Amino acid sequence: MHEIVANPAPQSDFSKIKCIEGFDRIRSEYSAYLCDESKLPPKPFDFLFFPKDEAELAAILCEMQRRKIHVTIAAARTGLVGGSVPSDGALVSLELLDQVQEVYFHAESDEWRVRAQTSVSLKSLETMLRFKQFPTLDQSTDAAVNHNLALFKEDVEHYFYPPDPTEMSASLGGSVVTNASGARTYRYGPTRAWVRGLRVYLANGEYLDIPRGKYFASPGGQFVVWTSKGEACNITIPDYAQPKTKSTAGLFAAPDMDLVDLFIGSEGVLGVVTSIEVALVKKEDKVSVIQFLDSDEQAVQLTLALRAEKRLQLDFLEFYSGNALNLLRNLQKTEPSTVGMPVIPDDAKSAIFIEMSFDPHADQFDFSILEKVVASCGADLARSWAGYESRELDRFKVFRHMVPETINSILAERKKQYPGIHKLGTDMAVPDDHLEEMWALYKSRCEALGLEWAAFGHIGNNHIHVNIMPRNMGELEKGMQLYAEFAKKTVEFGGAVSAEHGIGKIKSHFLPLMFNPAQIQQMRNLKQALDPQGLLNPNNIFPAEVHA
Amino acid sequence: MLIIDHERCTLCKLCIRSCPFGAFFVEEDLLKVNESCTLCGTCTNVCRFNALHIERKLASSEELAKYKGVMVWIELDDAADLPKPKKVSLELLGKGRQLANDLGEELIAVVLTDSEAIDLQTLGHYGADRVILCRHDLLNTYSTDGFTSVLCAVISSNKPAVVLYGATPHGRDLAPRVAARLKLGLTADCTGLEIDEQRQLVQTRPAFGGNIMASIITPYNRPQTSTVRPNVFPIPALNDNHQAVVENFTVTLTKAAIRTRVVEKNYIEEGCEESIENARVLVAAGRGCQKASNLELLRTLACQLGGGLAGSRAIVEQGWIPHTQQVGQSGTTVGPELYIAAGISGAIQHQVGMSSSKTIIAVNKDPEAAIFKLADLGVVGDAQDILPKLSKLIEQETQKTG
Amino acid sequence: MKIVVCIKQVPEVTNVQVDPETGTLIREGVKSILNPFCEYALDHAVRLKQEFEDVTISVISMGPPQAKDALLRCLELGADEGILVTDRKFAGADSWVTALTLAEAIRLTVPDYDLILVGKQAIDGDTAQVGPEIAEILSLPQITYGIEVGLSSTRKQVRVKQEVERGYEVVEASLPALITCSKGEVVRRAPSFLDVLNARKKPIRSVSADDLGIPAEELGLKGSFTQVVKVFPPPEKKCGRLVQNLETDQAAAEIFNFLKEKRFIE
Repeated sequence: MHEIVANPAPQSDFSKIKCIEGFDRIRSEYSAYLCDESKLPPKPFDFLFFPKDEAELAAILCEMQRRKIHVTIAAARTGLVGGSVPSDGALVSLELLDQVQEVYFHAESDEWRVRAQTSVSLKSLETMLRFKQFPTLDQSTDAAVNHNLALFKEDVEHYFYPPDPTEMSASLGGSVVTNASGARTYRYGPTRAWVRGLRVYLANGEYLDIPRGKYFASPGGQFVVWTSKGEACNITIPDYAQPKTKSTAGLFAAPDMDLVDLFIGSEGVLGVVTSIEVALVKKEDKVSVIQFLDSDEQAVQLTLALRAEKRLQLDFLEFYSGNALNLLRNLQKTEPSTVGMPVIPDDAKSAIFIEMSFDPHADQFDFSILEKVVASCGADLARSWAGYESRELDRFKVFRHMVPETINSILAERKKQYPGIHKLGTDMAVPDDHLEEMWALYKSRCEALGLEWAAFGHIGNNHIHVNIMPRNMGELEKGMQLYAEFAKKTVEFGGAVSAEHGIGKIKSHFLPLMFNPAQIQQMRNLKQALDPQGLLNPNNIFPAEVHA
Repeated sequence: MLIIDHERCTLCKLCIRSCPFGAFFVEEDLLKVNESCTLCGTCTNVCRFNALHIERKLASSEELAKYKGVMVWIELDDAADLPKPKKVSLELLGKGRQLANDLGEELIAVVLTDSEAIDLQTLGHYGADRVILCRHDLLNTYSTDGFTSVLCAVISSNKPAVVLYGATPHGRDLAPRVAARLKLGLTADCTGLEIDEQRQLVQTRPAFGGNIMASIITPYNRPQTSTVRPNVFPIPALNDNHQAVVENFTVTLTKAAIRTRVVEKNYIEEGCEESIENARVLVAAGRGCQKASNLELLRTLACQLGGGLAGSRAIVEQGWIPHTQQVGQSGTTVGPELYIAAGISGAIQHQVGMSSSKTIIAVNKDPEAAIFKLADLGVVGDAQDILPKLSKLIEQETQKTG
Repeated sequence: MKIVVCIKQVPEVTNVQVDPETGTLIREGVKSILNPFCEYALDHAVRLKQEFEDVTISVISMGPPQAKDALLRCLELGADEGILVTDRKFAGADSWVTALTLAEAIRLTVPDYDLILVGKQAIDGDTAQVGPEIAEILSLPQITYGIEVGLSSTRKQVRVKQEVERGYEVVEASLPALITCSKGEVVRRAPSFLDVLNARKKPIRSVSADDLGIPAEELGLKGSFTQVVKVFPPPEKKCGRLVQNLETDQAAAEIFNFLKEKRFIE
């Protein structure tokens, strides 16, 4: 059905809720809340809240609505596009909503599920699942909860939550509203594929409990949200199609769509997600292999070959360009212990990084298919690094993170001389059949303009992060133009200009590349239906309209 | 008892030369041993033909009762001009005195050195009843073979109930070697030592990275031996009236018996810059420090405490300190004895890098700062004002004690 | 030249948690890994193998059957053969019996060894005793805390950089000798995928209690000189003290007294 009724929420007494007032005080004592990982220059805002439960959140939303004050939502503040950076008004940090609420087996879907509040970090969820230790849940007095938890602990298998964005200290809620992705998305899909339900608070302080599979758009592309007082909000789903690739650009829309998908990837413009139910997958032992190659082009060929071989099931398929390897080589020379891995072989000009199932206890192995595919591209498995023990995998992870880390430090140095300078990283993905062409474009254009650049990322999803490191303001200018050029080409190929980071505030100028004004207006209309005063996370995805 | 395999013995007489107690003799072309033998094991170690073997049986309670007294190996700090006891050895005299009192037995200090000019009476003032001095030129510097041999001889002839060593690099080199030679139980890195109702030494120590504590006894072997880390027990008070009896122990050592040679020594100057991973004390600066110039004060404080400067990602990104000094998820993980967080809010990415620090002090203006959840002592205030004053107080204190 | 590396498989203690009810360790989700210090010992051995010709590395471990995984890891990293000393009779061994068992096993399987390398300590027991005890049983010179292991050109002497409290010393000894190893500057090599696959083809032999000929009462728990009588969780880390609203001078004094009390200032 396409109609849903909102629930009124109990509200705390607003006057008793902790509130930090005044930008001066916020700036001097709570400076960490001014920004997220986008490093967007902060703008002044007047209120900072830390609701400790939903009742306080509901009270805050109502009061802010009454006073017509904009509300920006923050959780772990690890976002890369300024989603939790206020333009003005109030910042509401959900950091205290950090409890796991339930672990249970959903018989019909034959899967284990976890229901957790929005600020449980992905890292702590991973740890809790690994050791089957849940600090507050273990103390629960609810008989049903305890029973299910006991079943979970008795199950000999181990389970994990597949989405693995690089920044695992991100909050679960944050990963849901940005539809986050990571290396494992190659096999497991983005966050959207794993959300089984959520609770979202609307601007009026009422909430919706939306399980997946219950509420679907009407044949005419409509939903109706009834407030508890009997008022109807009519929502019309935009009629544009999703790109055939990873995308977190704009609001999700599809015919007969599930209501829950509307809020996934909505970057907070439609409501405040406070609790999410996700599905888990059985854990298997894996081996990680970094295959060294002779050229970036060989890496692209190997990617195509690995993808084409259907008998191979890879968890992820990642890429490190020659330039990225050189960054690591330089780091190894100056700070060998930071990198933690042996010296990258001199003849390695590019690398592909894969992960696949591997049982270290097996007596026999048959990796002939992999060996054949690798050989067919002229590469040699002897020129690789492999690991499967958890510490070895951690070593590899550190190694991979050193690339973006190094890029960040280089830019930080340059910022001292040119304060306006920042890094330019693409977050664009194209459909499968355009990978070769897109890579050739990236490489030829960066080199033609003589820019310093390095590329790495989720090549399996045709989603490569091309990072340009401008050495002066002139190069920054050139880089930004190049960026726009890449975005246009991406859209031409049917791809997405934001594949995993979201649009936020930083990339809103890219939205018109993918959507025409009428389509963007459809998104605005949708937001207006749920948030008539435009109070929630203004300027995320599209710039707020100025009300006369 | 000592068992001699005459088939293997070639009468090379190396054992006769090495025995500290002169217990060997040759009679009718056969090697024999007399009652002077203390089973110290020097000969079994020296014999190249595997002809000597010591059979040790589980001791009966009568035999166990023959072992009396608490013995402490006094390790000397020979970097100084006049060798003086290491602090940990004095700490063990304090603990040893308590154990000896509980047993109603004596406390013995054992010193191995080449020096003539060593102040042994101080050991008495720290509680020792008896000081056994082993003086030999070959004991001028620590060597596994030399010290093991001599200490085994001292232990075998004195039969103490307990032997304590400081868990210093040399202590941890020596104690297991002695234990293996004399077939003794050894418990390392004890944080607790007590005598129980059966007059046994109960040794408590951490295991599994400190996640669990274990209490251990050595029921059938004497002496019971333990190593203890520095700074676990306090230095005892000096009692000028307590005198020790000094005993000279005859040392038998040959150069050939010492199979390792120190060919180079390289000591770091007492500096304050060292890798943050190894530092014992870290003072870490965060955003709350506001200016690069404020870091100098923190660096001074770090040096006063014998440690180094570190920082959160925020100040590394400002370029105030290099990446090598960054603590946190994308920096280094550290676990020093003392971590002072100055103006650090304690975001989870930072916590991950320092939460295993043994003692944490945090100073921050925000009373809700996450770092306070980890801190043993949290002070709400401005680090820039408080820490320089702390530095002054420490400076005054060091000037007092000189 | 034959190098023997003694290794131990240990639980990954950094992630270990204690069950508050029983006071024992929770095994759930805790992986077994090659003890990091044993890995450093192997790093030093592999470096010697790369530097000198004709060096074979035998890795030996006393443990339950699953310790085979740790041996496989060593074979991936460059060891040539593995020896698993396993038998139910070895269970409960303290460091003395472990040393005795390993020493006998080395005498049996690689009697003509030139150099024995062991990790300085195991991260579960942390005793650092087994190495020196093996050296004593085999009557070898020992050098502990080695961070760099080198050989003379004649390969008859070993030269070790030894970590001491305030720096390092360089110590020499004639072979055969035993070195206990700490982390050096060696960056561990990463095996290639082929190395991982080929490691499973290298030989691993098993040694049981009967093979060793040590009397049963000297093995395992029976042969141990030390006995654990109690295991308990460490004292609760008391929720720290938070002080507010103090004048700057008072605040500084508060910290100063705390540091004095904890003996960070004498």
